[in-house]
Amino acid sequence: MARLGEFELLVLLSILRQGDEPYANRVREDLEAHAGRSVTRGALYRTIDRLCEKGYLQWELYASDVPERGGHPMRRLLPTEEGVAAVRESRDVLLTFLDGLDPVLGG
Amino acid sequence: MTHPRPPRLGERALRAAFRDDPALPAILGDLEEDFHADVRDLGSTRARLRHLRACAGLATGRALHDLMRTLTGPSTMHDALRPTGLLQDLGYAVRSLRRAPGFAVLTALVVGLGVGATTAVFSVVKPLLIAPLPVEAPRDLVWIALDDGNEESLSSVTSRTGNLIDFRERASSFDGITGFNAFSGQESYTLEADGNVQRLTGYGVAPDFLDVLGVRPAFGRDFDDAESTWDGPAAIVLSWAFFQQRFGGDPGIVGTSVALNGEPTRVIGVLPAAFDFGSIFTPAETVHFLEVWEISDRTDRWGNTLHMIGRLRDGVSAEAAQAELDAVVASLEAEQPDRWGLGAHVTPLQEKISAPVRSGLLLLAGAAATVLLIVCVNVSNMLLARAPGRAREIAVRKALGAGRGRLLRQLLGESTIIAVTGSVAGAAIAWGVTRWVSATAGVKVPLLDTVGVDGTALLFAVGVAVATGLVVGWVPALQVAEGSEATVLRSGGRSATATRGAHRLREGLVIAEIALAAVLLVAGGLLIRSFGAVMDVDLGFDPEGTVAWKLNPQGMETNAEYVAWFRGLEDRLMQIPGVEAVGMNDALPLGRNRSWGFSVEGLPQTEADDLGMFPHIVTAGYFGALDIPLLAGRTFERNEAEDAQTIVINRSAAERLFGHVDGAVGQRFSTGRDAPWEIVGVVEDTRHVSPESDAGIQVYFPIAQMADWSSMEMAVRSSLPTARTVDAVSAAIGEWDSTIPAREFWTLEDSVGRAVSARRFLLQVLTAFGAAALLLAALGVYGVLACSVAERRAEIGIRMALGATAGAVLGSIVRQTLALAVVGIGLGLVASMAVNGLLASLLFGVGAGDPRTLAVMSAVLLAVAAAAGLIPAIRAARLNGVRALRSE
Repeated sequence: MARLGEFELLVLLSILRQGDEPYANRVREDLEAHAGRSVTRGALYRTIDRLCEKGYLQWELYASDVPERGGHPMRRLLPTEEGVAAVRESRDVLLTFLDGLDPVLGG
Repeated sequence: MTHPRPPRLGERALRAAFRDDPALPAILGDLEEDFHADVRDLGSTRARLRHLRACAGLATGRALHDLMRTLTGPSTMHDALRPTGLLQDLGYAVRSLRRAPGFAVLTALVVGLGVGATTAVFSVVKPLLIAPLPVEAPRDLVWIALDDGNEESLSSVTSRTGNLIDFRERASSFDGITGFNAFSGQESYTLEADGNVQRLTGYGVAPDFLDVLGVRPAFGRDFDDAESTWDGPAAIVLSWAFFQQRFGGDPGIVGTSVALNGEPTRVIGVLPAAFDFGSIFTPAETVHFLEVWEISDRTDRWGNTLHMIGRLRDGVSAEAAQAELDAVVASLEAEQPDRWGLGAHVTPLQEKISAPVRSGLLLLAGAAATVLLIVCVNVSNMLLARAPGRAREIAVRKALGAGRGRLLRQLLGESTIIAVTGSVAGAAIAWGVTRWVSATAGVKVPLLDTVGVDGTALLFAVGVAVATGLVVGWVPALQVAEGSEATVLRSGGRSATATRGAHRLREGLVIAEIALAAVLLVAGGLLIRSFGAVMDVDLGFDPEGTVAWKLNPQGMETNAEYVAWFRGLEDRLMQIPGVEAVGMNDALPLGRNRSWGFSVEGLPQTEADDLGMFPHIVTAGYFGALDIPLLAGRTFERNEAEDAQTIVINRSAAERLFGHVDGAVGQRFSTGRDAPWEIVGVVEDTRHVSPESDAGIQVYFPIAQMADWSSMEMAVRSSLPTARTVDAVSAAIGEWDSTIPAREFWTLEDSVGRAVSARRFLLQVLTAFGAAALLLAALGVYGVLACSVAERRAEIGIRMALGATAGAVLGSIVRQTLALAVVGIGLGLVASMAVNGLLASLLFGVGAGDPRTLAVMSAVLLAVAAAAGLIPAIRAARLNGVRALRSE
């Protein structure tokens, strides 16, 4: 299983947080609001492409009735089982390494 | 509620960059959604800007990504840009070149030289030989000459206006036939405005000239019906350059009147910038405007005046048109048995215009291609010379696990960097050269003013350079075969030596270089000798220290009044201290071109018609002003009687017509239009058309007896420096008649320079190529021998340790050099025999196989090769045997 980069992990996590309508603009807003980083559109799209190539993500187009989209469809982002597994593995690694570090990190 | 739409430009850019990406519709939707949020928060203008910026960023990122993917295969851009990717390889290539800066700079310069030379020459050649003329459907245009005779006698190739009228009527092969007065350049115009008098050249064209050529004025219009006859209002169409230079490009001039020769003349239009009449039809002569040359019986009486141009009807070939015109001419001859000056010879216009310089330009193109070839050989050689030294480095890296592809990429990176850097230098060279060429005024090569760096030529030359770099670049990588790393590492001390095969290859390349250089040098040498021969021609007059003015006084009634005006001016100028002689001719040498018919007793008329004569209408002082020697009889008296009918002829005329110089004096000579003339003197031949062409038959008429002149040219010989003569004479002319542009003058030395300009131009370029080839060949020889000496250090060391003297070592290297040079020169001489055909037509006074040139050029090449080989030879001879052995 290919390893997840940090940004890839964040993108996958954000997608999972969106519930039924995860699409690129929501993910970008989420990352900018909660991960404290500015995300360029190009970087986000490229990461989505890369996650798809690794088999962690799929997407499908569906018609959108949001008037501001000018009739353009939306892209629903769907993590695959492998994608969820990769997130899980990343989490486990992180937890293992974080274990016992509370005195150092605080909180 | 309606929603504003984002700018379409952004979507177009994305569609171009993302092409078939299925996610594109959703991406567009995302962007549009953000756009609406921005409109709400930031206003429409900033929202549009942000949108465009986002689209541009996405599109560029995607395009770069795709590009990298094609270059590096199916990995992501991220991978490609990682330090293990292409960038690292390029970085490696740059570092490796920085370790050998001399090599890198030299190779890049060599590439630059080749790319620059080739691009420049093809840029010059293209408008003439390849690119279509700047007129509509140029392929359908043909030149209709009276016959395919000698261009140097304009009257034998131009036609009567009557021919044009009849051809228009009877020939159905053409959509239109038009023409221009070939002798227009000899008319003289002055434009007077704001107290300034400027001398202008206008060409008389048939009223439908621009229409048949398909040239539409940039401003204004073509001649209308009323202006198509000389009885109508006078109208001119300005050339673009003159419009810019004299009227600052202000279209307001169109429709206004200017004072041309004192007559009000309406400016009705301006020719487009692309169509410069002068540079196409009369190279080296600046044409300021076009006027109407009436097509009528009136102009028919002027005799052979027209250069005709026809536009072929759709689907009609030049051959078919020729056949039809032949039939038309035959029927006219049958109907009008005493009609003279009939004939038609059809040539495609483009061919006609490039014909005079065709062989010269082909020679240049060949020379440029040769230089490029030498450059490729040289670059190959330099890269190959470096190859063996790198075998060890490559073996080490291979042994450490570098893949073959990876090594190849780095080596190719190096050669590509060299080729690209060199190409940039080459483009700069080409730019400089074409700028120089297009600014070189007064060269008799058509369309030269329009020359600029040609993109295709540059691309081609760069392509060749890069391809050479790529092909040769991978040789070092091949030298270390799979699994042979250990052998390479064991075999050498600090560096591996080249294989015997590689040596042979490089020697072969050097021989090829020397051979190619020999071809160029021989061609250059022959042209230099021809140029010398042309300059050594006895012109029959002395151009040195003679300054000329054009004079066209206006407003007098009789020829006698004009004669008095000219005599008065001559007398006035003779009073200037330092002025030795003043004389006038309506056609000073190396300027105009014309011929008249004549007859003499005892010479069949057909023979006389074939010969034709060049008439000069002169004042008595002319022979003195040009220092033309008198051979028999006398020249004209100052007050030659107006009714005496006396002429002076030249030596060729006397010998051709009367057997010898002395027999001519007292003989009768008829021009066919008036009473016979008496020959009173014979003067030396002058070369009046060009230094290369024979004098032919020339006849001098005294101006008092011959009123058939349109303007006069005055020659002033003086012992003063030119500038002082000009100042004094100009001031005197201005006082004599303020309507004469007194500051417009030329020296007879200028005339000579202009007459040999095309030859000089060719010579300069070819000499530069020859020098470049020589330099490159020298570099090649040096490179090969220097490497060979470096590789043989151990061997030379052992020899010297065993008692070989420095002299013996030196001798062996020099022998090696000379062997290469002799073989190369031999092959080169054989090759230059093969290109003799191309050269022969450009030579004057020297044969294509001239043994002296061949010998001198061979000697030069041999000497340069020996000198190039001497440095490595001396280095070898200075080797300290023991130290050389130890260092290995």
